[in-house]
Amino acid sequence: MAAETSPWRHADPVLLMLPLAISGLGLLMIYSSSRMRLERQGLSQLYYVERQGLAIAIGIVAMAVVLAIDYRRVRDMWPLVYLGVLPLLIGVLLVGERHRGAQSWFQVGPLQFQPSELTKVAVVVAIAGYCHQHRNDLDTGRLAIGIALAGFAMVLVFLQHDLGTTLVILVCAFAVLVVAGLRPVHIGVLVLIGVSLIGAAVVTGKVAAYRVDRITGFLDQSTSAVPASQQSHAQYSLQESKIAIVNGGLAGEGLFKGRQTNLSYVPEQHTDFIFTVVGEELGFLGGATLIGLYALLVWRLWRTALLSSDFFGTLLAVGVLAIFAFQIFENIGMTMGIMPITGIPLPFMSYGGSAIITSFIAIGLVANVNMRRFS
Amino acid sequence: MSDNSRVRVSIVGVVIVALFSTLLARLWFLQSGPENSLKVRAVVDSTRVLQTQTPRGEIKDRNGVVLVRDRVSWAITIDRDISTERRDKVIGQLAELLQLEVEQLLSQYESPRQSPLEPAIVALDVSQPNRLEILQDPQNYPGVHVAALTVREYPKGNLAAQVLGYVGEVPSEDVARLEKLSYEPGDDIGLAGAESAFESDLRGKPRRETIEVDPTGRQVGGPVKVEQGSVGHSVYLTIDSEVQRVAEDSLAQGIAGAKDLQNPDIETGYVKFAAPAGAVVVLDANDGSLVALASNPTYDPSVWVGGISKTNYALLTNPFGSFPLVDRATQGLYAPGSTFKLVTSLAMTNDQIRGIGDYYTDTGSVTIGGSTFSNAEKEQFGPVNLEQALTVSSDAYFYTVGNEYWQVWRGGDRARGLGIQREARALGFGAPTGIELDETEGRVPDPEWKSEFAHANYKTELQQEQNSIWYPGDNLTLAVGQGDLVVTPLQLANAYAAFANGGTLWQPHIENRVVDADRKVVSRMKAKAIRRLNLDPTVRAAILAGLQRSVGDSKGTAFAAFQGFPLTQFPIAGKTGTAQVSGKGDTSLFAAIFAADGKQYVVVAVVEQAGFGAQTAAPVVRRIIESMTDQIPGPVRVVAQGHD
Repeated sequence: MAAETSPWRHADPVLLMLPLAISGLGLLMIYSSSRMRLERQGLSQLYYVERQGLAIAIGIVAMAVVLAIDYRRVRDMWPLVYLGVLPLLIGVLLVGERHRGAQSWFQVGPLQFQPSELTKVAVVVAIAGYCHQHRNDLDTGRLAIGIALAGFAMVLVFLQHDLGTTLVILVCAFAVLVVAGLRPVHIGVLVLIGVSLIGAAVVTGKVAAYRVDRITGFLDQSTSAVPASQQSHAQYSLQESKIAIVNGGLAGEGLFKGRQTNLSYVPEQHTDFIFTVVGEELGFLGGATLIGLYALLVWRLWRTALLSSDFFGTLLAVGVLAIFAFQIFENIGMTMGIMPITGIPLPFMSYGGSAIITSFIAIGLVANVNMRRFS
Repeated sequence: MSDNSRVRVSIVGVVIVALFSTLLARLWFLQSGPENSLKVRAVVDSTRVLQTQTPRGEIKDRNGVVLVRDRVSWAITIDRDISTERRDKVIGQLAELLQLEVEQLLSQYESPRQSPLEPAIVALDVSQPNRLEILQDPQNYPGVHVAALTVREYPKGNLAAQVLGYVGEVPSEDVARLEKLSYEPGDDIGLAGAESAFESDLRGKPRRETIEVDPTGRQVGGPVKVEQGSVGHSVYLTIDSEVQRVAEDSLAQGIAGAKDLQNPDIETGYVKFAAPAGAVVVLDANDGSLVALASNPTYDPSVWVGGISKTNYALLTNPFGSFPLVDRATQGLYAPGSTFKLVTSLAMTNDQIRGIGDYYTDTGSVTIGGSTFSNAEKEQFGPVNLEQALTVSSDAYFYTVGNEYWQVWRGGDRARGLGIQREARALGFGAPTGIELDETEGRVPDPEWKSEFAHANYKTELQQEQNSIWYPGDNLTLAVGQGDLVVTPLQLANAYAAFANGGTLWQPHIENRVVDADRKVVSRMKAKAIRRLNLDPTVRAAILAGLQRSVGDSKGTAFAAFQGFPLTQFPIAGKTGTAQVSGKGDTSLFAAIFAADGKQYVVVAVVEQAGFGAQTAAPVVRRIIESMTDQIPGPVRVVAQGHD
């Protein structure tokens, strides 16, 4: 054991460098997708790039701060972390701003702060901390409390009409609980409850029309004969998104040369549909490389889960891993028509300050676990 | 870490590997795979083709005199999407500014020939001060725009209006079909006459710009692809504008004269001929090219420019206006009367029904099958051979020929018995001539036709049977160009041309040559023979002599009309025709063959409800021939007393 040496000597450079590399590519893609649109509106071509750059800088600082604090102190303070985000979630419900019925945020200077992004990490920390605390006697009742911790946060996020983040929390909480000791019978019961809740919501009309539209748009992709004016927004987005990716071919149309991209045919391309820029301009080579970088990142997270010196570290790494893997799969899958359209950002790529900063913090937490595995 | 946890983390790892593999597989499938239809759609979605019309070609006469050309006109348009009140207010203000009637502007706005989707053109050739007024005070003229339009111009006014035809917007019912030929709604297209017949030559190649657009349809950047258009070709017609002018003037004078003649058929009181309409054909007998095609009444083709107004359209299509849009030379159907005796003469000599030297004693009438058929005015001509029968236009002579044919037919020799019909068809009657313009094909009646007609038009079987019978009278009236026979003036002229040139039936045409913008000849019309007939020279000589004497001999039916004409210098062979029309005045016809500048021409004039052929049609033809033989043409002098 090398307990006396500084934990920084055990830091995982791959895990720390990948977010920087991916955010760099993200900046390039945001620039490519937004410059024509911005120019036509008489704005600076760098409008989004500058803001995203600022968010990345803040994210890096936040990651460094998170690394400096021993994660075990966070582990022991998990109730504070959990209780810390609740006022933010409730506050945004009361005084937050809305956009397209999907996101709620606080306006902080030039940046927008979305508490729901931070909630993902907080929920992972809370459940991991709780399960660590009761690691030797996790019976059904205790697991139910873990589920309740996630469920309460999910309800608050769902009330902001942010279905995407609700799903992310669902998935990462589930992953943490599975590793913590959820038994097959628990899983069966949970799935049954979930299905009946969703079924009831759809039948009673509590699900907004645009959500049903997104699902049906995903299920019916044979829109090639339907004129654009008669397609739903979701069908149109998906159609144009797929066209962009198909356009790219193997080698791509070349950086800044994407026709769908330059003509702004893909809606929300610098945020949720950022992958279409990679697909169109950099082709299969670029797209596969990006997926490869993500795979590398996810592998380092998974490896940390195995290497962690304590149960909390393992659960934290699994939770963060689940957040990233699900967001990557859902986001890229949606642009290619194999997942329904939800407003989930692509980590480190999509334009959005809160998501970027949260992602850096999450990586920071896991890297923290990783570098203190011997201490 | 417990083994249990290790297993569970590994399970998470397997799930992750599966998810990432799925992403890669899908990406590979999309980007290497066969979904190329999406690629094509991307190009179609984001590009638009802007098409600009290029100037239309000119239409000229055979000597290069411009008959139709394009010019730029400053027009005023009113948007379609403004409210009725606002429209009325704007039209009122425009009427004041342009010093036009409100009704006129409104009628133009409601033109049936203007697209309801495009701004309505309400005034053309707006002066610069008026345009400035509108541009400077746009708030006074909401929805009003000034636009430079390319419009058709007719330097010769009404001349050859029906031959030239007109252009208009692509008809909405044809848009789908014409889009394949790259026409767009609102584009100009020839809708009648030469404008329609030579559409593909006259229309230029439109300039096409492919541009990229964003989802809102706005253009992004410069055009991606530009296909330069080209100006339309010029079409030279065989029409000679000077002869056309003389033909139209002569016809108009003849009609005016006939309107002042008494109609002798009406015995109760002094009633003048109605003479509402007529047509003239001047045809080059040696190649079928048309030198003039006149139709009266006529109209000013510039009314179509910028979309014809509702009022003008109503005027042109009103039945009491005798339909000036119809080209009577190619579409008018008339019984040819005695001008048809040329056909009967050729048939009877061919079929050995009667020879050129056989005499027939004309007693003024013949009684066949209980019915009596008389000459015009019941004149008795005594013994006549073919030449004399043509000169005096003996009906009795040809009635008996018709009867003899009927007897042969009745006797069972159906082919020979229908010799007149066969000869008529050989000379082009009853079928389209093949001219580039719209035409009607007329009708040559025979027993088969009569039966079909009866079965189509009568209800009971008995009526059908009775009206199917081919009576001697049917064949008799056919022999003198009456009964159910109808022909167009063009068909009549073409048949006379075939006789004149020794037996070649040419396809009549108005195209001379097509020339591109660099004055290079693109195509040149070649004379095309429909068929060649075998004319016995002695028969042809006898008929020609009879026709010449009908003009030059004092017994000739057209003698009075040609008194004083230098026939020794310019010999004319002509035949009068007077066709009875039930309930109306007789149709006056005259067909003439003459030579000028070493060429043989045929002139046919037909005037509706204007008396004997010699009274109105022959004087019209005379004036045309005078002009074409470089004499100073006098006014058309209709003849008060006439012969068939």
